[in-house]
Amino acid sequence: MTNRHLFLFFILVGLLSSACNGIFAWIYNPVPEKPAYGFIETDEASHRGTIFLDAHDYAKWTYVNLRRQMIDTANILMGEPDPDDWDFAIHRYDVKTNNGAALETHFTTLEDFSEGGLSFSGSFTYDTLSRIAIDMSGMMDGNVLYADSYLNPLLCNWLDVNTSQMPPIYTLSGKVYVLQLANGQYAALKFTNYMNAASTKGYVTIQYVFPINYAK
Amino acid sequence: MRKESIVLLLIMLYTAAAAQRDVFGTVRGNDSVALYGAVVALKENIGVVSSTAIDGSYKLHIPDNKAYTIEIIYYGYKKKNYNLQENESGIIDFVMEKDIYNLEQVVITGTRTPKLLKDVPIVTKVISHDDIILQNATDIRDILQSELPGIEFTYSMNQQVSLNMSGFGGNSVLFLIDGERLAGETLDNVDYSRLSMDNIDRVEIVKGAASSLYGSNAVGGVVNLITREPKERWKLNLNAHYGSHNNQRYGGSVGFNLGGVSNLLNVQYTSCNPIELKNDGAYNTIYGYHSLNIKDQLTYSFKNRFKITAKAGYFFRERKSQENSHDRYRDFSGNLKGDYHIGAKDDITLSYNFDQYDKSHFALTERTDVRSYSNVQNSLRTVYNHTFRKKHILTVGGDYLRDYLMTYQFENNGAHHQHTADLFSQFDWNPNKKVNMIAGLRYDYYSDANLHSVSPKLSTMYKLKDFAFRASFSSGFRAPTLKEMYMSFDMANIFMIYGNPNLQAEKSHNFGLSAEYNHKQYNVTVMGFYNRVKGRITTAWNTELNGMLYVNMAPLQIAGVDVSASAIWDFGLCAKLSYVYTYEHIALGEPLLSSTRPHTATLRLSYGRKWKNYHFNVALSGRWLSKVTCDEYTSLNDYTSTEKVTYPGYTIWKLIFTQKIYKGLNISLVVDNLFNYIPEYYYSNSPATTGTTFSVGVSLDLEQFFKK
Repeated sequence: MTNRHLFLFFILVGLLSSACNGIFAWIYNPVPEKPAYGFIETDEASHRGTIFLDAHDYAKWTYVNLRRQMIDTANILMGEPDPDDWDFAIHRYDVKTNNGAALETHFTTLEDFSEGGLSFSGSFTYDTLSRIAIDMSGMMDGNVLYADSYLNPLLCNWLDVNTSQMPPIYTLSGKVYVLQLANGQYAALKFTNYMNAASTKGYVTIQYVFPINYAK
Repeated sequence: MRKESIVLLLIMLYTAAAAQRDVFGTVRGNDSVALYGAVVALKENIGVVSSTAIDGSYKLHIPDNKAYTIEIIYYGYKKKNYNLQENESGIIDFVMEKDIYNLEQVVITGTRTPKLLKDVPIVTKVISHDDIILQNATDIRDILQSELPGIEFTYSMNQQVSLNMSGFGGNSVLFLIDGERLAGETLDNVDYSRLSMDNIDRVEIVKGAASSLYGSNAVGGVVNLITREPKERWKLNLNAHYGSHNNQRYGGSVGFNLGGVSNLLNVQYTSCNPIELKNDGAYNTIYGYHSLNIKDQLTYSFKNRFKITAKAGYFFRERKSQENSHDRYRDFSGNLKGDYHIGAKDDITLSYNFDQYDKSHFALTERTDVRSYSNVQNSLRTVYNHTFRKKHILTVGGDYLRDYLMTYQFENNGAHHQHTADLFSQFDWNPNKKVNMIAGLRYDYYSDANLHSVSPKLSTMYKLKDFAFRASFSSGFRAPTLKEMYMSFDMANIFMIYGNPNLQAEKSHNFGLSAEYNHKQYNVTVMGFYNRVKGRITTAWNTELNGMLYVNMAPLQIAGVDVSASAIWDFGLCAKLSYVYTYEHIALGEPLLSSTRPHTATLRLSYGRKWKNYHFNVALSGRWLSKVTCDEYTSLNDYTSTEKVTYPGYTIWKLIFTQKIYKGLNISLVVDNLFNYIPEYYYSNSPATTGTTFSVGVSLDLEQFFKK
């Protein structure tokens, strides 16, 4: 075998070896290894920011404190109580407020809402007693575990989960919601996603403006 | 002395000249049409060969006065032999009989060596290029469902496509392109949409186990797509198809054949809007999609002894499954193959194949495309054939495959890989023209499963006038896949699905008997089959793990009858009726979870005529699928018990009107679901139809306009 043939042979072996685990990996975005949760973007000047929450666990409430930019959690199955200080909370796609209320605007972006003078009108909806699924592990046995909980029915509309077919069809309302806090302050919330970068469901992204300097 | 030498030389020259002779005449079809390009050759002297001119004329210059056999070959017609007597010369005209059932078609799937369809002892169904054109097929699903009963494509979870072929699912039927495996699967099925028909010459289907030649997955059958090589010096095709729901298909192919070198490039783009279904069901919207498929094939051949084929392909499909997230599927493929005819008796093939199938999620808001699945297969293959006494063939070969899988269904999006290797041998024994027998044996090894498998086969055929009888025993196996061994998947935070490294391979024994009758324009084939499948791999609830686990299930028996009858008349009428009955049986007390319809049938009636500048064909095809009752887990109450569920049958008719106008302009009009069938409830195995749909297509073969 001549040197040229040997060279070609090794080139071929090299090509084959490099192709063993695939080619063109660079055309994809990398999987975020440890995504940051909580207030991932904040802009003090415009009072705007983005919150990213891991809400995939049926047994967990994730609490958002807009005033202190803090996140807290409580395990429902372990009987952990709500924390002392929070503004709204997420459980999967369920939303509740801490003695607050919510209103749906006709705006679909926070930019439009801001340009519209941050004004809103209409009546606020308060939380009502409902129930949430907290343990799905027995679903195959027909034993889904539920718990009573207050929910804000208007804020829960941010995502429509149509379970008439499998997998369900998820439809974002796309609307900007105004959240009235217990202390009378207002926040604008826009729920933008229900999945993480790997498209696993149960991860919620929320854009917000807080506080809204609103005077009637 | 000098004079004597000259006289002797003159005598020799005269004798030689006197011994030479010419045979000439015309070759025509039995419809009197002159056949252009037919090969007329002496069987015993390969140097004497001629091809017919445009008026069908030929001339053979024969160097001696011996007796010979003249062989006339023309694609689409039955091969003809003529016994040329000693000293016979002058005009000999030939009339060729149309090969309306493609019995002279060379097929490869049943034996892994080229063999005439009529001589294969394994029943092989062939869907020809003409059938593909006639059915206006986009991908393999269209053509298989239209042409063959017993085949059903349904939706499984998340509208992923699942196959059932006479009781065998997508992972038990091996799909090949020119004999090469396909990477990637979703819910046990390859991506059928990447198997577009634009560069396919024919599809060969072998029902029954074929693991003695193809190894794992060839349990219920093999579907082999054979690609085309351009025959014309150059060709350029452009085509477009538009239908209901904004269903679009645009394609083109450009190719050349310069004798030793040929190339064919195919590009196809398809798209369809989401389809809102009309009634309640397991799903109420069919996702919209678009796809792009690019394939290129370059061939170099040298003196008909050495041939190198290089292929490259790219496939992309985007499915609009969610409002802010789309599913993307990509495939990158490459193949390099060398065929070498060592002599008249020996040939060897060596090939390398690369296939990578990826899945990713495209987030529309963030514009990120994150890969969640990649299956990469690198394989090396060699096949050697030796012919004894011009009729018996010994085939020996081996494969090596490296299988790599990264998936979101493994822990931490991890990856596994394994090596597989095999050796196989087959002897094709042809003691006379009536009898053929093939015996084969294959050994497979899978590294991660530490699996050793031996697959035997024995097939025989006996021809008696217009009848051909075939009998076969073959075994099949399916090795547990990397997914089935290592899965650790959290199903929506509801339950886990676990892989099982201790899985055994599925094993099957297949027995087949068939009788085929061919007389003039009539063809009838009756085939009976029986399969005993042991250890089929499925998922079952595991109380200890509190999740689903891959396990081997109880033995299953699948038997049935496959009947087809067809007739093709000279005045242009063609009728074909096919029916399959499938019976499944599992041990008492075990659930029969598959939903194989016991009765299915297809019917095609077509009528066509050809004039110089205008051809037309009207084809009416129908599919009838009976209702089916199967077991399903009553998961809402108790996962250990099942209940009987019945799914309704249905019939779908399609009308296709095709026209060829002045050489290369083809127009097709399609009315699908002619009688407006709409399911009252859309089950996963209901046709996802909203009623009658219409489509129109145009195809332009530019090279045809330049032909005289």
